[in-house]
Amino acid sequence: MSTTSPVAPATGQAPVRRISYSRAINEAMAEEMERDERVFVMGQDVGAFGGVFGLTRNLYKRFGADRVIDTPISETFLVGGGVGAALTGLRPIVELQYADFLWNAGDEVIGKMSKWRYMHGSLFTVPMVLRLPEGAAGGAGPEHSTCPEAALLPATGTYIVIPSTPYDAKGLLKSAIRDDNPVAFFEHKGMYGLKGEVPEEEYTIPLGQADIKRAGSDVTVIAWGRLVHRALEAAELAAAEGIDVEVLDPRGLRPLDVEAITRTIEKTGRVVITHEAGRTGGAGAEIAAIIAETCLTSLEAPIRRVCGIETPIPQSLHLEQFIIPTADDLFQAIKETAAF
Amino acid sequence: MLTPETKIAIYRMMYLAQQWEMQLLRFLDDGQVSGFYHAGRGHEALEVASMMAVRTDDYLLYDHRGCAHMIAKGMSMVELYGDFLGNDKGSTTGLGAGIVHIADPAHGVLGQSGTLGGGHVLAAGAALSIKIRKTDQVAVNFFGDGAANRGTFHEGANVAGAWKLPMIYILQNNGWAISTPQARVTAVEHFSERAAGYGMVGVTIDGMDPWLVYETMAEAVERARTGGGATLIEGMVNRQRGHYEGDPMTYRPDEEIAAAKALDPVPATRQRLVDEGVLDDGALTELETEVLAEVQAAAAEAQTGTLPGRERLDQGVYA
Ligand SMILES: Cc1ncc(C[n+]2csc(CCOP(=O)(O)OP(=O)(O)O)c2C)c(N)n1
Ligand SMILES: [Mg+2]
Repeated sequence: MSTTSPVAPATGQAPVRRISYSRAINEAMAEEMERDERVFVMGQDVGAFGGVFGLTRNLYKRFGADRVIDTPISETFLVGGGVGAALTGLRPIVELQYADFLWNAGDEVIGKMSKWRYMHGSLFTVPMVLRLPEGAAGGAGPEHSTCPEAALLPATGTYIVIPSTPYDAKGLLKSAIRDDNPVAFFEHKGMYGLKGEVPEEEYTIPLGQADIKRAGSDVTVIAWGRLVHRALEAAELAAAEGIDVEVLDPRGLRPLDVEAITRTIEKTGRVVITHEAGRTGGAGAEIAAIIAETCLTSLEAPIRRVCGIETPIPQSLHLEQFIIPTADDLFQAIKETAAF
Repeated sequence: MLTPETKIAIYRMMYLAQQWEMQLLRFLDDGQVSGFYHAGRGHEALEVASMMAVRTDDYLLYDHRGCAHMIAKGMSMVELYGDFLGNDKGSTTGLGAGIVHIADPAHGVLGQSGTLGGGHVLAAGAALSIKIRKTDQVAVNFFGDGAANRGTFHEGANVAGAWKLPMIYILQNNGWAISTPQARVTAVEHFSERAAGYGMVGVTIDGMDPWLVYETMAEAVERARTGGGATLIEGMVNRQRGHYEGDPMTYRPDEEIAAAKALDPVPATRQRLVDEGVLDDGALTELETEVLAEVQAAAAEAQTGTLPGRERLDQGVYA
């Protein structure tokens, strides 16, 4: 996908350079490895090859085989070994080739990475980042295309970060690497080519701060990852019909910016929640529940969810496109919610 | 080399670990201990002598079979009792720990994965970290014949071999995984046969012989520290008691249990010190009296701890 992000941070100065989402992630890793020698990367094919999606390009040349490590196809080692390294003074960035492989390392993610600190009396920190290329893109099929972020909701101890723009990706990844808690970092594969403004100068974005990607007063769309862009497209369609849409991007699920969610609901009174993963057991359910608990009386319309279709993602590229909610699906939901 | 001083130190630690456990069993009988306990009686020689051959800054991922490895690694007996009693004297300051989750960063005790076999990959990660940081530490992972069959062993051992990591896998083969005998679920007679497949040195030894354990471990440690790579030490041991306290052990013939108890490594080692002329009975009795007093003092101190309130629950979840 080589669309251009309509979202760019306002700077008001000289034109800001535009780089891709994948380049932004690559820069964040390179800068943090430069800054802190405890940071290292491991994963399959991340070395001289630069990663199957090119995310670790040039890191091997720059930092060497000791800090950019090609591993065997051993996901329990990747995550469990990352925990072992994090407990003993290093700050690993572990790349799973696909987010779907979380399940291969299920106990290492849920039982070890997320719980080790707490269950051992907080005597340790587990400063590691688990990079998870996610999402339907390019016909990768049912086992290489999911967005499993909701599976980590019960994994207390692990932060869940999901950037939707190159700017956010770089700033959030740098914060994630510096954080002393484990972070699951979801990168939508369909956005790797997406370009957006990323300043030359160094910056970080604190974890757990939602971002209003478009301000509006009639209906809020809560979207993250790639669906932020579809929500913004839908907002333009709605604007043409006089509906003023606010797009709130929580930029992750933990820490969750409940205050920002409450604020936008109190402002608009109407909300559509969207994500690429299926509706049942999706993170939208949790957010809907939080809205019901915190600001139900501010709602003027039922909460609406627009989510991925609940089937395994078909191998066919032709069918794959029907899985993900479109701008038009969102536009319809926005219209109905506004009219309620 | 095994000096007389080292032999005495090993016996002293074995006796201490045994007495520490006897007192824990009394706490258990009194209903003061939360959770299960998997007694380590019979495993003392393997757990103690191997840990006497490493340094404080070496890493230990222990297993659930008793606490002798942690005690020998230098952990405080008070903290250990405190964890079983669930009070603030414990290493987890009241969160409770016991067969798992005791930890002590200052002595390299990294904790335990309650999901058996989790340590296989964690320890390999700690060993990789040693290699990246270029120190001469080693990482040690204890596990049983049951946990030896987890898939994580394959992934951990493979990288330990491929990258010549300073890793020592210590397999405590007591022949049983709860009620399941090794032969019912495993084709090989000795797990050490598997080591070659990973590019590791593998040895099977009598895990009831502390001198042999110490020397085997010292060799493995030397190999690990000098870039020679990983070792799998399979120590053959006897589990004297049930899998957990309260296990009716219906699956195990009485004669086998009696034979296991007859092979108790603690009195056997004591006799060896006498036979080898290292210490006489009088000196040993003196040493034992001293140890008993230490254990009793630790138990008394641990009991002065207090149970935490609800507020303990959400402390320290995030850094
Ligand atoms: C992954 C996993 N499966 C099962 C258990 C339950 N369990 C606890 S101890 C044990 C037997 C372990 O046998 P072994 O590894 O030989 O150690 P031993 O108890 O003999 O010292 C089992 C099945 C567990 N804790 N983790
Ligand atoms: Mg066993």
